[in-house]
Amino acid sequence: MEAHPRPAARTGAGQPRVAGTRRALLLGGAALAGNTALAARLWQLQVVESETYREQAAHNRARTRPIQPLRGLIYDRNREPLVANAPVFGVWLAPADLPVEREGPVLANLAVLTGERLEDLRFKLSQARLAPDTPARLARAVPRESALTIEERRSDLPGISVRTSTRREYAHGDVLGHILGFTGPIPAEEVETYRRQGVRFDEDIGLAGVERSLQTRLRGRDGEQQLETDAFGRALHELSFTPPQVGQHAVLSIAVNEQKAIREILARHLALRERGAGAVVVLRPNTGDVVAMVSLPDYDSNIFTRGASSESFALLVSDPRRPLINHAISGLYPPGSTYKVIAASGALEAGVVLPQSKIHCDGRLILPDGWAFDDWLPQGHGLVDLERAIAESCNIYFYNVSGGNPYTRLQGLGNRRLAEFERSFGFGQRTGIDLPGEASGLVPTSEWKNKNLQQPWVTGDTYHAAIGQGLVQVTPLQIAGMYAAIGNGGRVMRPRLIDRMLDQHGNVAERIPPQVQGVLPISDANLRLLQAGLYRAVNEPQGTGPRARSAHTVVAGKTGTAEYSGARDTEGRLPSHAWFAGYAPAEQPEYAFAVLVRDGGEGSFAAAPIARDIVDYLMTGDMPPLPQDRPDFVSPDRRL
Amino acid sequence: MFLRVRRIEWATVISTIALVALGVLMLSTTADPDTRGLENQAVQKAVLGALGLGLAFAMAQVDYRGLHGLAAPVYLLGVVALVLVLLVGDFDLGARRWFEIGPIVVQPSEFMKLAAIVAFAKFLTDRSDSTRTLRTVMVSLGIMLLPAGLIFLQPDLGTALIFGAIWMGMVFVAGARWWHLLTPVVIALAAFPFAWFFAQDYMRQRFVTFLDPGSDPLGAGYNVLQARISIGSGGWFGHGLGQGSQSQLEFLRVRDTDFIFAMLGEQLGLAGTIGLLAFFSLLIVQALVIGLRARDMFGRLLAIGIAAMLFTQSFVNIGMNVGLMPVTGITLPLVSLGKNSLLVTLLSVGILLSIHSHRGAAPFRQQSMHVVRGSIPAAGPRGGLGR
Repeated sequence: MEAHPRPAARTGAGQPRVAGTRRALLLGGAALAGNTALAARLWQLQVVESETYREQAAHNRARTRPIQPLRGLIYDRNREPLVANAPVFGVWLAPADLPVEREGPVLANLAVLTGERLEDLRFKLSQARLAPDTPARLARAVPRESALTIEERRSDLPGISVRTSTRREYAHGDVLGHILGFTGPIPAEEVETYRRQGVRFDEDIGLAGVERSLQTRLRGRDGEQQLETDAFGRALHELSFTPPQVGQHAVLSIAVNEQKAIREILARHLALRERGAGAVVVLRPNTGDVVAMVSLPDYDSNIFTRGASSESFALLVSDPRRPLINHAISGLYPPGSTYKVIAASGALEAGVVLPQSKIHCDGRLILPDGWAFDDWLPQGHGLVDLERAIAESCNIYFYNVSGGNPYTRLQGLGNRRLAEFERSFGFGQRTGIDLPGEASGLVPTSEWKNKNLQQPWVTGDTYHAAIGQGLVQVTPLQIAGMYAAIGNGGRVMRPRLIDRMLDQHGNVAERIPPQVQGVLPISDANLRLLQAGLYRAVNEPQGTGPRARSAHTVVAGKTGTAEYSGARDTEGRLPSHAWFAGYAPAEQPEYAFAVLVRDGGEGSFAAAPIARDIVDYLMTGDMPPLPQDRPDFVSPDRRL
Repeated sequence: MFLRVRRIEWATVISTIALVALGVLMLSTTADPDTRGLENQAVQKAVLGALGLGLAFAMAQVDYRGLHGLAAPVYLLGVVALVLVLLVGDFDLGARRWFEIGPIVVQPSEFMKLAAIVAFAKFLTDRSDSTRTLRTVMVSLGIMLLPAGLIFLQPDLGTALIFGAIWMGMVFVAGARWWHLLTPVVIALAAFPFAWFFAQDYMRQRFVTFLDPGSDPLGAGYNVLQARISIGSGGWFGHGLGQGSQSQLEFLRVRDTDFIFAMLGEQLGLAGTIGLLAFFSLLIVQALVIGLRARDMFGRLLAIGIAAMLFTQSFVNIGMNVGLMPVTGITLPLVSLGKNSLLVTLLSVGILLSIHSHRGAAPFRQQSMHVVRGSIPAAGPRGGLGR
């Protein structure tokens, strides 16, 4: 039945029928069906799913911008600032605003304007694309002119903007390099770790020193600014603002003037002896406070944040003395005779010998199997008791009390008990100082030797361990810690580099209290014997450390001459590191110290005078005269 | 001679005015506020709309059958213009689609749509006794493919496809066999893999983007995604005129032309979009009704062609905005910014009005009805032109 349109009906049957009515109606039905489908879709979009799209629209216009807190500062003990945040111009990218097809020319332009390498920019862009809504930094510090040019050419550089940020500038970076460390870009392999902590890949983080160990606390927490932006990334107005949590400031236990002077003293002596490398650690025995810590050669923190010239950087990296490493905490050395007090205390506590027991030293001990162990004094010390053995650093005495003597049937302390005592002084483990990269050293045992060298432990190994030779490895900080413990009455303190943390207003946020890590397993009486031996080593004519004697106070300490394998000198002696460790004043110690001159020869010659100058300085506050100007100066050409 | 004011089909006129007004309203929210008077695109559109509507009213007074004689020359003129635009047209956005003559931009493909409708109507009316033959269908297909092919070369795939839709609607109503119509469709589908091989990159890209706009949110899929967000965020009643972050902050691109519907969706919400859809439906239904009431095959086919054109364009454009159709660059008739499109659509409305006002009646109906009745051939030789 064909539908008759009204006109046809009105004009009557005479009007010729026009064909295709049914099909036209069919088309009309199809059109209405199509529009109904559209209406249904509109219902879906605008009613059912509207909320989702509303969120997406809000997300479109709102650009979240992290507000990085200013990095906390670092002060010395006297609140002298050691670092400042200097303003620099950084170039930033809002990844979502840089169309993919324009990447090429924009990056090429930026490479010219910022001086960055194109491949670096590409890498940063690819990283930034992972989080398209958060701006990322492409260049950390560009010259002012470049910054202005980039601002002017914003229309050619979609998504690119210039922001001021900061760079670390170290006030005393030249003397505190190893302590403060420096900041810099996150190493590629750690990017993911830091991302999980909320640190963006393009941020500067602490890479060494306190900057690294206190990274989280110095950094603070990001704030957030939400901006309404149009499709071209232009910010229109602020939608919300969450202020950042400013990083805390650190106050060190070190005073910069003391650190500077002590570094200078070490540098003078090294120059005089034509020795390139050495380390000094000075602690407060009662608290473990670090007074000074020097490792020479060192570096200036500023060369990393200012952008070192590639030559000076290459020099630092290629120097065989490894100036980038803080040898005071990371360098491992045999401790030599400074170690003897351990065997001494162990022997006393274990009852191997009595304080007054005398052992005969004729300069050499030959074991039945034929191995010979020498004293440093060829003619020997004769009959020595404990105090004299320490004072005169008699090797034979310590061989006897540690490894025993097959001829006198003296039962020595033995490797196992010696190792226990070594550990109780803090050796073979990290001290826990707030610096990255600390080494733990090695307390050798028969198990260790079996496992690592596949060799059995022999009596000679115990002899060597007792006098700080052979397999023993320590850091200068551990040695200083040992002498601090002897000086303070037997408490092994955790070295304390950070005194307190301050909030942004300068109020104390946290005080870091001194921390006792252990107590020496030594009776007071025996400890006093050790102290007496150390006193005599410096203050009696026969002692090994007279050159550490100070005009201003009484020093107690021990020399060390730690041989290590290397080319022998003309007299057939192995090269040796020179040590001097001790404390002052002897009665109520205020300072404990360890001095190391790498390849310095005799401790009594090379290291003891350095300790004396340091003590003189700390006692008087005045810089001591140059070593060569002193009346008792002994030319380094003369060797004992 | 008497000049008698003929009756105007008001539903058609009202829906037309409503659609143009919605377009003017949308354009006014994005117009550069510094422009005054005729420099303002919304004002331009309103003025041109008024003029075009006036022209349509005038056309209502003229018998559409005059177009029967004009069909061939107009068609040939259009084809020549299409050839010329390929040779000397202005190259813009990777295509040659228009001439710039002083301040006026002429886009021949727009006018060709109307010319092709008239040509089909004449051809199919002339061959009304042989529309069931394959020969007639194939010749008409040729008439369609010539301009469509030229437009495809510009390249403008979307407009070329509109020609196919118009042709199909008109040939269908003219009485072609089903399988004659379906064969080209089947062939086209079978040819798809080859077409894919020869297609320009942008066409493939658009197809892929249609299938998954999220695949490249910053690239080709950007507009589709932003359009959907704009429409969706509009909700029931929209953010209000001149409001809405998507269009005002220009996340929505080409918002004045291809995506003007999305802007409307954001600002006026479901009320606005359904309203617009209703006006389009009304206009298309009116075109069909006018076609059904037409007194002859020529008028009916003209109206069917115009209805097909209006429906295809609006459906494809809105479908693209809501993510149901691929991006084809087809504007929304009467609503979008394009002036050529507006003028051609209003001319089409004029033709509709003329078909309506000349429906079922010979000139001087009152006096000669009984004389003339039944004696005037379906496509009478003399129309209203000679009154």
